[in-house]
Amino acid sequence: MRKTLPVVWAVAANSFMENVRNRFFTLFAVFAFAAIYASVLAGVMAVDQEARVLSDFGLALMELTALAYALFNASSVLLREAETKTIYLVFSRPVPRWAYLAGKLAGSLLTSALMLAVMGLMHLLLLKLRGFGVPPAYAWALVGSLLKLGVITSFAYFVSLFSTSAVSTLVISGIFWTAGHFAAETRFLAEQSAGAKSLALKAAIWLIPNLQLFNARDAAGAAAALAPAAFLSAAAWTAGSYLGALWLISRKEF
Amino acid sequence: MRRLALPAAALLAWAAGSALSAAAYRSPFPPPSEIRTPAAGAAADMFALALGARRLFADVWFIRLMQYYGSPEFHDEDDAEGGLDWLKPKAPGEHRHHDHRGLNGEGRYPEFLTRARHVLEIDPNFTVAALYGAGSLAFNMGRTEEAQDLLRYALEYSPREWKYLNVLAAIGYSKANDPAAVAAAIAPMLKDPDCPVMLKQQAAFLNKKIGSYAAAAAIYADIAATSRDMAYVRNAERELQKLAAALSAGAPGPRKTK
Amino acid sequence: MSQHAVSFAGVEKTYRRPRLLGASYHTAIKDLSFEIPAGEVTGLLGLNGAGKTTIMKLICGLLFPDAGRVKVFGHSPSGSEAKSKVGFLPELPYFPPQVRPSQALEYYGRLSGLSGAGLGAAVEAAMRKTGLEPHAGKRVSEFSKGMLQRLGLAQALLHSPDLLILDEPVSGLDPLAIHDIRQLLAAISAEGRTIFLSSHSISEVEKLAGRVLIMVRGRLERTVRRAEWEAAPGGLEAIFVEAVR
Repeated sequence: MRKTLPVVWAVAANSFMENVRNRFFTLFAVFAFAAIYASVLAGVMAVDQEARVLSDFGLALMELTALAYALFNASSVLLREAETKTIYLVFSRPVPRWAYLAGKLAGSLLTSALMLAVMGLMHLLLLKLRGFGVPPAYAWALVGSLLKLGVITSFAYFVSLFSTSAVSTLVISGIFWTAGHFAAETRFLAEQSAGAKSLALKAAIWLIPNLQLFNARDAAGAAAALAPAAFLSAAAWTAGSYLGALWLISRKEF
Repeated sequence: MRRLALPAAALLAWAAGSALSAAAYRSPFPPPSEIRTPAAGAAADMFALALGARRLFADVWFIRLMQYYGSPEFHDEDDAEGGLDWLKPKAPGEHRHHDHRGLNGEGRYPEFLTRARHVLEIDPNFTVAALYGAGSLAFNMGRTEEAQDLLRYALEYSPREWKYLNVLAAIGYSKANDPAAVAAAIAPMLKDPDCPVMLKQQAAFLNKKIGSYAAAAAIYADIAATSRDMAYVRNAERELQKLAAALSAGAPGPRKTK
Repeated sequence: MSQHAVSFAGVEKTYRRPRLLGASYHTAIKDLSFEIPAGEVTGLLGLNGAGKTTIMKLICGLLFPDAGRVKVFGHSPSGSEAKSKVGFLPELPYFPPQVRPSQALEYYGRLSGLSGAGLGAAVEAAMRKTGLEPHAGKRVSEFSKGMLQRLGLAQALLHSPDLLILDEPVSGLDPLAIHDIRQLLAAISAEGRTIFLSSHSISEVEKLAGRVLIMVRGRLERTVRRAEWEAAPGGLEAIFVEAVR
């Protein structure tokens, strides 16, 4: 284990640097443009609610921007490494598959964290320029987004190991992301229905992670602080996807 | 058996996450059966839920509510507006709240309650929207029952929100034709960041009406200093000039209300 | 150290290709048994689809046999004991175009368990051996095919493996690059390391190898020693043509 941890770190750092080389930071320019455009619109349309609109728009856009990159990366990276034979150079070395997978996942999360941090700073700067302070529970909102990204990225890695293309991984993970935000509605419908429909909905509650648990940016006031259960659930779901992915990759031939 | 260890561990970890989440999470939002989407709004609501962006889409609905309320609406002058005319300035040419939004923000606006409630169905914590909606319904349109309905709905999801109770009290006093009590009920909210400028304007107007010029001037000064709505700011500046002139000429006694 | 660097005993590998309904199966190698003696250069010849790359991937632990047993220095190829002794150069290796050769080598060195000063020295030595030193400042995107192949060899040599597995090491290279790589492999062989290389170029294998395995449709058709092809009229080429026909 002590010998393998540097390998995990090497894969994570390399994965992160690959993302830097792929110029993910060009997305920052897109974010900045969209945020400034929104601020112009919000100034005209939302008048006294400009601060709230700018804050909500920025936080949602940050999460979606980071999500787009994280999903694109997670759904294509293993496929690309297999296609370019890069994975041959890795797995012909004494690199355990768990360490490789953990490193790749850590590299993706590191990239997501950096993206959220940089976009967060840009967003706060824009708010400051417009004369507003830091929105309440801002840090919790970003932490919640990162937890969501952790859950969905590990899930995308899992899917990418059995799906036939990056696009199908992207679509499946995107649907999963969407369904994860309907958890409360699904639970409500399960309670209201009976028979097979209720059973199917209850199964969905167990199979689909409740991403609203991390949605601090939609909660209000003190409720925005993420409970320890949110961190534990995120860790458990991420670990579940990771172990599922490890099961697949340990049987996979290249 | 060893081959099944990893998938079994994966399922266990996943189930642990779901169990923890089920135990910890109680939705603070209205159930889907309560969401009554106005026509052509279903797609926006789906996005609001699917992207986990209720606040953002509630903002959009709120902006649409303000735009709807700001649309000029022509109606017969004889149409009853409710029995709260004393709440509105009477002098010809005198500025009224919302006069920058078409016909003084008055008129029928039949969908106003539905639209205002929809904002809260998407984000029940949007206090400003509830206060703005209730204030507009009660004090501009004279639809006090609808205003109360809206506030009662808002209170279901924010039962500790004292500002809703204050506005409910203000509506009660307005029905009793007691402008001083209305102004007093609104007063504690004036420094709150969630207080819509429309309510501030209402409070300033009522204070002026009952002869509390200093209080009215303080509220207008606050509007001029803090609001980003230029129509309100310009009006507040005008009112401040008038109040300064009135105060230097010697303050008159309170005006009688209806 | 085991006398044999690699041993195959009754190995079979069948590929499964999923289809819309069911799957199709293709047996790449069948009942394959051979040994690669330690310290020798062994060549692997065969037509396309003969199973050459499958054999190399089985040795590197990238594929798992369906039947039989593969051992690398007496260990399972999937284990770290075997992998730490193997350096693999796949056909047409890929490196991110924006990196410099030393950056790529540092990454693979770390994956081989190297770190600190040892890593720096290993990278330097691998670059020197493969003639990449003059190109240290360039990015991979500026590399010719020959230089990429050198970089591929450098990553395989980083951790001083006892066994080098080279899949088509001179494929698509110009004559000068082929000459340089041949010289390099001869020098590595002189250090006592085992080299197992596959190639479509019979003359290259002939020049380097002391023993050649000829594969035909997934089976080992013949094992030929240098003395045999040197004595045969037409050399190794004639033996190969006769074997595959």
